[in-house]
Amino acid sequence: MTTMTVSGHQFDLDSRSVEAALQGALPEPIHEHFVVINGRRWPPKQVLSLVTGLDRADFTTHQARRALTRLGFAAARAVTPRGSHPVASSAAAPPRPLAAGTTERREPQVEALRPFIGLWVAVRGDDVLVAAPSAKEVVAWLAKHRQRAQSMFRVPDSEQAITGTAPQ
Amino acid sequence: MRFAFRGLPAAGGGTLTPRPVVDIALEGLADAPMECLLDTGALRTRMSAELAPLAGIELSGALTEEFYIGGLKTVGAVARVNLTVTDGADEFSWDAPVWFCDPWPHPFGLAGLGFMYHFLVTMRANDGYLDIEPQP
Repeated sequence: MTTMTVSGHQFDLDSRSVEAALQGALPEPIHEHFVVINGRRWPPKQVLSLVTGLDRADFTTHQARRALTRLGFAAARAVTPRGSHPVASSAAAPPRPLAAGTTERREPQVEALRPFIGLWVAVRGDDVLVAAPSAKEVVAWLAKHRQRAQSMFRVPDSEQAITGTAPQ
Repeated sequence: MRFAFRGLPAAGGGTLTPRPVVDIALEGLADAPMECLLDTGALRTRMSAELAPLAGIELSGALTEEFYIGGLKTVGAVARVNLTVTDGADEFSWDAPVWFCDPWPHPFGLAGLGFMYHFLVTMRANDGYLDIEPQP
């Protein structure tokens, strides 16, 4: 446990208590700063507010970021949003299948999707805007945060899910 | 309009072979275009039935059919809806029948020949993208 003072209140926190506080919540849109928790990007103020119960107006983004990095979470700044054109660098040098329909090449968007296998996602460029168990939750999140996705789909949990289609 | 093939993570590690997809928005769901696999072996445009209520599409009383997809028996209900495809710069809309299917085991919708009748489709699999050009 790490003891820290936020907005005059003292809290004993560790990474597990933070992860537990985020259960059932969806990350809000990332504007600039984010922390990585369980493979997902979260706005630092949203996290610290959920963990402490404090109002977000009671602390700054930098205070939240500092508090969470003290607990061992990686923090970073989002790059300028990418263009909406879906053809990324992968188009110039396509991955070649090695065996059984898989490649070992690391694509940014593929890696961004990896934590969300089995979930519905909304993406824009290489960024995953939101991931949730159902399309309904994804659509509700987009509406609530006035975000527009480039595309929505479920990240398959097996190759079988995207083969053997071709009905009428 | 150009669309990169979709690469996806394999559950066991590595990357699944990228697939040709286009993003098709249902009328009423413009902010969440559904990624659809281009499927020349399919005749129809099919999507998960859970999308219909999200787009405000009424399926009660709709014509239905049973069929098998990927070995799974499913039921599709058809509705004629306005569809829009966009690459972020250009967009094209048209009316088409869409079959909303339950259960729907696939992560994408399917854009079959019914979609391709509206476009000149050029597939560049080796380069990992496809181009579509609306046809009058």
